[in-house]
Amino acid sequence: MSDGLDPQVKRVLDGEAEFTTLPPPLRAQAAAARRVLDAVDRAPVQLSAGFEARVMAAVRDRAARRGPVRRAVAWLVAPREVRLVVRPWVTGALAAAAAVAIVVAWPAPDAPLAAVGSDSVAVRFVLHAPGARAVTVAGTFNQWDATVTPLVTSDGDLWVATLVLPRGEHQYAFVVDGAEWVPDPAAPTVDDGFGRRNSVLAVNGGRAL
Amino acid sequence: MRQTDEQDREGPGDGAIVRAVLAGEVERYGVLVRRYRDRYARYASHLLGSVELAEDALQDAFVRAYERLSQCRDPDNFAGWFFLILRNRCFAERRRLARRSPLLEDLGATLPAPGRTDAALEHAELRRAVQQALLALTAEQREVFVLRHVEQLSYDEIAARTGQTVGALKMRMHRGYDRLRVLLKEHWR
Repeated sequence: MSDGLDPQVKRVLDGEAEFTTLPPPLRAQAAAARRVLDAVDRAPVQLSAGFEARVMAAVRDRAARRGPVRRAVAWLVAPREVRLVVRPWVTGALAAAAAVAIVVAWPAPDAPLAAVGSDSVAVRFVLHAPGARAVTVAGTFNQWDATVTPLVTSDGDLWVATLVLPRGEHQYAFVVDGAEWVPDPAAPTVDDGFGRRNSVLAVNGGRAL
Repeated sequence: MRQTDEQDREGPGDGAIVRAVLAGEVERYGVLVRRYRDRYARYASHLLGSVELAEDALQDAFVRAYERLSQCRDPDNFAGWFFLILRNRCFAERRRLARRSPLLEDLGATLPAPGRTDAALEHAELRRAVQQALLALTAEQREVFVLRHVEQLSYDEIAARTGQTVGALKMRMHRGYDRLRVLLKEHWR
């Protein structure tokens, strides 16, 4: 017996060809393969009775710990001054070596921004993306919706948006031309669990980092 | 329980629940747990070869998903996002198991040959042999086999879930077929 299944039989197993289309010599091979596939256990798996209770106990524990931890993180990264960072950045999709710069600054003395309230701060996002047709920012503050928070540009290079954000930690990324997710190279980043990086923004009082 | 499960399936969409949990309604996360635990338990069980390991992986994945919920970029697709978390967890567990049992790939040599003629016993024996043979596939081959032949997903659906191309998935599956044929040669008749 050859080790490999005939490609026509594999197509039948994949559901892309009918058994009846096989030449008779291959039908026995396909029938044997079908018999094996039919023996695969497809029964639902019964989890133990306390499964949900254990998950929710762990979730409540994480929720209870979240407050102090976040406060500690905010304290550690609390800014001491307004920051302006411009760094070159290259991405494969933007082969023209687009330079990315983000300004997260508040409150600049002469900026047309005002304190919004004790719990909210206006934050200005600036992205230098020559050649981009559209830029948006998506993050925890807009449920990662890449369509609702556009940046605007007057010269085609510098894209700007000002958002009012609640105090606390936010994660975000820019979205260039609706497809390219761009983290801020000047800001701290965290792994999103799938090989990408999210930028982290800690808004504390009247300042942002 | 059944009524609760049905209500959970038919209630608010995942996006609304995710947003509520992020807003502080922690208990509503239980709806997502009930909604997806059974669907993904079978996947994890087949991938890890053990209900107990699958339950541990599933629990870890749910807790990890809660911790990272603010990073869920598309709350309406919580299920797809959660699947990737569970998948990463299962693959990590497979790697850990492989380190502990490096001879897993040689399992085929130990598969029992059919020794009884009774139809029911023979089928039970075949089923057990198939389950063992699946454990001897690579993690990647096994995953695509489970998603295609246990969860009955199309290649396009599998590609959307895993981020792999349909061509790569088919190649993986076809090598898995060949491997199964070798492992189950005594049953392949």
